[in-house]
Amino acid sequence: MMTPRERIKATIHFRKADRLPWYESIPPATLVNWIRQGLPADKITKIEWTMFMGDGCILLPDDKFSDFAPTEYFGIDNILSLRVPLDLGPLPRFKMRIILETDRYIEMIAETGVIARRLKEAYLYNMPMYVSFPVKDRKSWNEYKVRLNPKDSRRYPKDWHKDSYIEIFENYQAGSTVLFITGFYGFGAQLMGIPTFNLMFYKDPELIYDMVSHWEYFTIETIRDAVETLKDRIDLVFWWEDLASRHGPNISPKLYRKFLLPSYKRVTNFLKKNKIDRIMMDSDGNTMAILDLAIEAGITGHWPLEVDSGMDARIIRKKYGNKLFLVGNIDKRAVVKGGKVMMEEVESKISVLKETGGYIPGIDHIVPPECTLERFKEYAEYVKKQLLFDS
Amino acid sequence: MDSENDIFQMIATTLRDLENSNKMKQLINNAILRGVSAVEIIEKGLRRGLELIGQKYEAGEYFLSELLYAGSIMNDAIEILRPYLEHEKIIKKGIIVLGTVRGDIHDIGKNIFKMFAEAAGFEVHDLGVDVDPNAFVKALKETGAKILAMSALLTTTILEMKTVIEHLKQAGIRSNVKVLLGGNAVTKEFAKEIGADAAALDAVEGIEICKKWVEEK
Repeated sequence: MMTPRERIKATIHFRKADRLPWYESIPPATLVNWIRQGLPADKITKIEWTMFMGDGCILLPDDKFSDFAPTEYFGIDNILSLRVPLDLGPLPRFKMRIILETDRYIEMIAETGVIARRLKEAYLYNMPMYVSFPVKDRKSWNEYKVRLNPKDSRRYPKDWHKDSYIEIFENYQAGSTVLFITGFYGFGAQLMGIPTFNLMFYKDPELIYDMVSHWEYFTIETIRDAVETLKDRIDLVFWWEDLASRHGPNISPKLYRKFLLPSYKRVTNFLKKNKIDRIMMDSDGNTMAILDLAIEAGITGHWPLEVDSGMDARIIRKKYGNKLFLVGNIDKRAVVKGGKVMMEEVESKISVLKETGGYIPGIDHIVPPECTLERFKEYAEYVKKQLLFDS
Repeated sequence: MDSENDIFQMIATTLRDLENSNKMKQLINNAILRGVSAVEIIEKGLRRGLELIGQKYEAGEYFLSELLYAGSIMNDAIEILRPYLEHEKIIKKGIIVLGTVRGDIHDIGKNIFKMFAEAAGFEVHDLGVDVDPNAFVKALKETGAKILAMSALLTTTILEMKTVIEHLKQAGIRSNVKVLLGGNAVTKEFAKEIGADAAALDAVEGIEICKKWVEEK
């Protein structure tokens, strides 16, 4: 039997594994619902062991609750398990502070400089509304850029002893090891907001050129030491992008080619030169119109392939063969409905993609809060049977 | 010399081809100098251009960036025309009450829809985000709007749309109002299921639906 890491690595490289891996992303809102519905919280509790110092004279091991982690409980293979511990955010951080609080809302400046409003009620089930963004124009970009200095020593952990990290990344087996990178579209949209950022491609292309050029420099130089140290002990790059909606990509293939492609190639070439060639784009929505370009840019995998946006992993596999490993694409709506609808959806994807390889099934984005524990258990039981290869 | 129709055509294609604002500014100024009505420039030139943009978007030739840039060129053009509009009356296509439902505070899609609805000639009453069902009812009564456009991004908040429709029924105005749903969580099946009149998968489709409803009357 393969370890989870061996299984994931074999699959994303289109080699035969002992069975298909299975990946799910379960958000806190769904977990809280499931705990209410009877999921045993103690079985998914993540404990960190620390040393407790009492009165300065005793030193006792102390268990500290850190998170809920349902992966093992359900038998999910964690493709984002051991992360390269880099800080790619603005440094120094903006000072977080609440600027408005009412009975219904809380509005704050976040550490990234964005002003976000949240609903207090059911905040777990909601995402913030962004009231303003730190970059609005060339002047504010030049001010922000100072915080994106790759040479800032805080980007690496204090305990960055290369040999220790090499050993950890070499021996880890509980899932795959991963480096998180924010693609330029995601980067710009986070700094300016989607409407302003998209508009700037036309209104101020020189600003976009300057931003993408700095993004490339910042990304390569920040990750350089980790990448050159760990090399292919990094199994996967998670390339967060979120550049599409149901209608299609937010930016046209023409703009992608003109502004993004050259820098993307240089970043992925740097990774590939260091034997890291599994680069998975995370984008919701329908990305079909830019997939040719994403592949040309060096992307080699894609998640989550949302069905209600028109994404179909079988069509992508047919069109692109082994150029993309695929993760997700099980229609969340079918899982919520359960029963025959769910089974048909799971079977229709896995039966085809198991044969072609390079596929990790999972719900096409996060497991939604309206998916009950009972439905998820039913789905988990069924999907796990489908992961096995005929002997 | 170009006929008025040629001028409208040039304005429409300049907008369609996303040519820079300077060219549009020049075309509009020339048209005004020739005595062309500002209202006609908007209705026959700019709005036609916007329709062509919508067609390119639906055909997959244009994407969000192009929509937003077209909206920006259009706004700049209307600013040039604004002083002349004081003496002319634009006939509004209709009135839309717009908002994101209670419990949901997302507004990007809603704002893009608003920009295009206004550019297409609708009067839009934007109630913002996290809108109480009673506020929708109140605004519909006060404005006499015949279209309610509601948005929801999240699967956890779309059921609120059903609550709003219930409120319209209780207020006795459901049969006077067409209900359009939008937002990432919405599907056409869902719209049917909760008794809405239509669902739009994007802003451009939403405007086309609203225009069709107005023309049907």
